[in-house]
Amino acid sequence: MSEEVKSKAPSEPLFSKKNRALVTDPLTDNNPVTVQVLGICSALAITVQVEQGIVMGLAVLFVLVLGNLIISLMRNLIPSRIRIIVQLVVVAALVIIVNEVLKAFLPDVSEKLSVFVGLIITNCIIMGRFEAFAMANKPWPSIMDGIGNGLGYAGLLVLVAVFRELFGSGTLLGFQIFGNSLPGEETGLYAMGYMNNNMMILPPMALIIVGIIIWVQRSRNKELIETH
Amino acid sequence: MAINKDSNGYTLGFAVVLVVVVGTILAMLSIGLKPMQKKNEIVKKKIEILSAMLTPMEMDSINRGNASEEFDKYVDLDNAVVLDMNGSLKDGVKAFDVDIKKERRDKTLAEADKNYPLFICEKDGKTMYVIPVVGNGLWGPIWGNISVGEDMKTILGASFGHKGETPGLGAEITQPFFVNRWLDEEISDENGVATKFEIVKNNSGTEPKKVDGITGGTITSVGVQEMVNRCLKPYVSYFNTLKK
Amino acid sequence: MESTFDIFIKAIFSENMIFAYFLGMCSYLAVSKTVKTAVGLGAAVIFVLVVTVPVNYLLENYMLKEGALEWLDPSLAEIDLSFLSFIMFIAVVASIVQLVEMLVEKFAPALYGALGIFLPLIAVNCSILGGALFMQDRQYSTILDATAFSLGSGIGWFIAIVAIAAIREKIRYSHVPAPLRGLGITFIITGLMGIAFMSFMGIKYGSEKPADEAPKSTSIEAPINNGMAQTTNTNTYKSL
Repeated sequence: MSEEVKSKAPSEPLFSKKNRALVTDPLTDNNPVTVQVLGICSALAITVQVEQGIVMGLAVLFVLVLGNLIISLMRNLIPSRIRIIVQLVVVAALVIIVNEVLKAFLPDVSEKLSVFVGLIITNCIIMGRFEAFAMANKPWPSIMDGIGNGLGYAGLLVLVAVFRELFGSGTLLGFQIFGNSLPGEETGLYAMGYMNNNMMILPPMALIIVGIIIWVQRSRNKELIETH
Repeated sequence: MAINKDSNGYTLGFAVVLVVVVGTILAMLSIGLKPMQKKNEIVKKKIEILSAMLTPMEMDSINRGNASEEFDKYVDLDNAVVLDMNGSLKDGVKAFDVDIKKERRDKTLAEADKNYPLFICEKDGKTMYVIPVVGNGLWGPIWGNISVGEDMKTILGASFGHKGETPGLGAEITQPFFVNRWLDEEISDENGVATKFEIVKNNSGTEPKKVDGITGGTITSVGVQEMVNRCLKPYVSYFNTLKK
Repeated sequence: MESTFDIFIKAIFSENMIFAYFLGMCSYLAVSKTVKTAVGLGAAVIFVLVVTVPVNYLLENYMLKEGALEWLDPSLAEIDLSFLSFIMFIAVVASIVQLVEMLVEKFAPALYGALGIFLPLIAVNCSILGGALFMQDRQYSTILDATAFSLGSGIGWFIAIVAIAAIREKIRYSHVPAPLRGLGITFIITGLMGIAFMSFMGIKYGSEKPADEAPKSTSIEAPINNGMAQTTNTNTYKSL
């Protein structure tokens, strides 16, 4: 069997249509968050600011791509009885690496993310992709799958964060978009009576925004509509 | 393949190899990065103390890279003292090593055993006293540093920090506009009685002893009020004895 | 500073696992279609949280924290194993879930019938690991506090999932716009419930009064603070 794989492997180009689909599908029609309903847990609480959303997205992307690769390389070695524990150990080890590196090089960001870095371990996307894809596929497609799902996840985080930061604080990545909102020295839109929507900053708005994104997505793609 | 992947021996062997490999990698990483992480914590503490005594303009030129150097220019840690809750000097404790955040959380530590560090700094030939404070916000701990001038009562600068207050609401306590509302307030009156600060709303904080809170961040603002009132007390009694 | 009871109430309401931190959302969304299964999963989460958080607390304080190994030998005081905490916590959670599953199956088959299928799901439920990580992050000073926190978080999660399941059972008879059906409307309802739960944030806990101040001044100050918290809140909402 292994010979057959070897002889077949080179015939498929690295960026074949199938491999490209692995990356592009999760960005839209098979988005891990809005369609597969995975990994909502640890993410939404940190979408108040775009910067945190980007860092969190990158951390998940890193863990997912590397984890997928490692699991895929080991897929023929892992004893089936301790499969889940092995996957957990791999994720936990990668997350510890991310956490230690963040603490050493980006201490301010690490402080803001606090426990949510650790919660990447139980992010269902990661275990879900390990179990559903990496355990049954070769390393290269697994990497592509990791990139696709990681980007799909990061993209959604950033999208939600953009809405929340823009309308909640009037900034994007810390830059003032609508002018200065300080009481007494308003400029731009604020001088005309515009006010930040404090509601956007509160945790429940993240859920409502995701709900609306799902609504828009499913109106455009009728196949995704649930019967009930 | 000849190896039976489902045998107990293989499973056990796999688990052992995995644990050893993962353990080694993580231990090496942790040992390698530990000094940097420790340094980050120290630098952060220094920046917080500096930002209470320097103006925002002066703070612009300070970053994680040069903070330690700048800190040594202004602060001589050998002069720093540690007080107890009654404002008497305490021996044998290094002011910079006191973790007041941890001491505040620790229920097993008696009030009388808590440490109150005081940093004595020099800026432009004048002495400044930097007082660290710690309290509770809405979501978690808040903390800060307040610097008092040579008269030992006028607030010349302050900086506040928080763990996880709501961005845009409670988290605004770190912003200059809120910090500036504390400036020129006096922490004690002419009789040496500690001031009771009060957080008020609607721009009525122009009177002495009254400070404007943050709209929508009331619980955090009141947390700052409680923190400042409680933490300054030992220092006021210490300053009273110094003045005599 | 906080009393144990404050920690308990806070964990249920103002720091609710679902509405304030979104922890355990995956199983919350997947297993909330009927009230009966929601009650089963909710009970299992309470149970596992109450068992795992104290165990992880002991692990954290007597093994992992810097200086935690001092009780073994003073020379070990320098060792800091906290980088291992993620991996230890998840291992504890996974093995305790497995153990509990076996014990329940053996000694309480009726309970196993009710909880059984949910237990394996719980190992990867964020709220369990989240409970352990929050316990570590907030540095509770006694094991009693940690247990109160875990019980409160569990009950909070239970309330949340049973409530959404009850709403989802009824919403089946409503005319929800087709693209919003199922997942979309569940998200939005959860958000609205979260907003309702935010009103619990105004609860005045004992610990927020100045603890070391003379009782006289405390009683004067407290009502002022209370009134102010309320008025400012109304102001904010009006301005929205």
